[in-house]
Amino acid sequence: MSEDRYLELVPLAALDALDGEDRAAFEAHVRDCAACQAELRAQQAVAARLGTATGRVPPSPVLRARVMQAAEREPRPRRGVGPLAWLSVAAALVLAVAFLVSRAQRDEARREAQQAAAERDRARAELDAARARLAEAEAVRELLARPETRTATLAGLAAAPRARARVVWDPASREAVLLASGLDPAPAGKGYEVWVIGTGAPVPAGVFQVDATGRVVFRLPVRDETARVKTFAVTVEPWMGTPAPTGPMVLAGAAS
Amino acid sequence: MAAGSNMGGALRLATADSSAEALLRRTADGDRAALGQLYDRFASLANGLALRILRDVAEAEDVVQEVFLQVWRQADRFDAARGTPEAWICTIARSRALDRLRRRVARKEDSAAVDLPAAAEPATDDALAVRTAVASLSEDQRRAVELAYYEGLTQSEIAQRLGEPLGTIKTRIRTAMMRLREALQR
Repeated sequence: MSEDRYLELVPLAALDALDGEDRAAFEAHVRDCAACQAELRAQQAVAARLGTATGRVPPSPVLRARVMQAAEREPRPRRGVGPLAWLSVAAALVLAVAFLVSRAQRDEARREAQQAAAERDRARAELDAARARLAEAEAVRELLARPETRTATLAGLAAAPRARARVVWDPASREAVLLASGLDPAPAGKGYEVWVIGTGAPVPAGVFQVDATGRVVFRLPVRDETARVKTFAVTVEPWMGTPAPTGPMVLAGAAS
Repeated sequence: MAAGSNMGGALRLATADSSAEALLRRTADGDRAALGQLYDRFASLANGLALRILRDVAEAEDVVQEVFLQVWRQADRFDAARGTPEAWICTIARSRALDRLRRRVARKEDSAAVDLPAAAEPATDDALAVRTAVASLSEDQRRAVELAYYEGLTQSEIAQRLGEPLGTIKTRIRTAMMRLREALQR
């Protein structure tokens, strides 16, 4: 694709209206193209102003108190660090959520331990869950930090044009993590199954569900095929998984 | 000397003009009163946009709550070089509202289809400028941009909805956005 061709995609990208191959190609290109980045910022500013022209409608008066009370329950904001790479942001988010959850649970547990043993057990279980999430996030971060780690970009297919994902994996240890966004919650009784495709038939590599915002950070089980993977793919399957793909494919990408 | 005092004047003026930005800075430092003032200034903007996208009063107000909690958590991410506080809040509100719209579509629910309440607050000069720019688009161009902006449709989805070739839609949106940009720079 020529430079002009990418610049032509910028107005569509600013409206988040790209999909399919255009989207995958543009996202891969814009990371390293200062001209497209500058143009994208200018067009995003135009898109953002569309919103400011929408008629203003005051919400009901009680909402203000609801918002301020919700902010009251939140920890005071702490100034963040500068822009990070997309992957680090995903990993940092997982860490931050785990940290906040764990801290909140700890404080809560302190108060409630004085009140009731049952309450304390519940807090403990949630703390364990937070610790497990933190360990998961640490594992992801550790994998990302290794020099041998490779990355594949997966584009959303017709069944999920907004979806996008990356798989990072270490061919030597066969550890792999998939980071996806833009997926709708799987239909009832279904899940998203990952496939590692090397020299033979697709090898199943776990089933995941996405959160309410359509995102997931998923650690793939260790598979020998990961050492010689050519393609990663994701299909919609029964939630317990199937030995071979049967449902529509939502994401695919070459391990180039 | 004269130049120096002019610069000082310009600086003071800039500080007074950018009070929404000052409120965002105070919010980033954990000042809840500043968050309250941002709410007073921009809640009806966020609500109007969320309502236009979701057409559901209760859901729009949930979005407004999410928007201001996100402002509370992430006020330090506001970058004045990339737009006004208003535009930033609109970007957050649109993204939150479209997330809900897509979940609703995924659940195959129909939109509540309530009538939009009339905008009760006078539009700002900036809003009028944007409306004038949008009015300069052809009907086809405006429709395509609105499907992307307010319904969150992708280029293929818009082509399908309008029953036109993908290439036509891409060109149309590109032309419309260029035209808006030109009109707004004037």
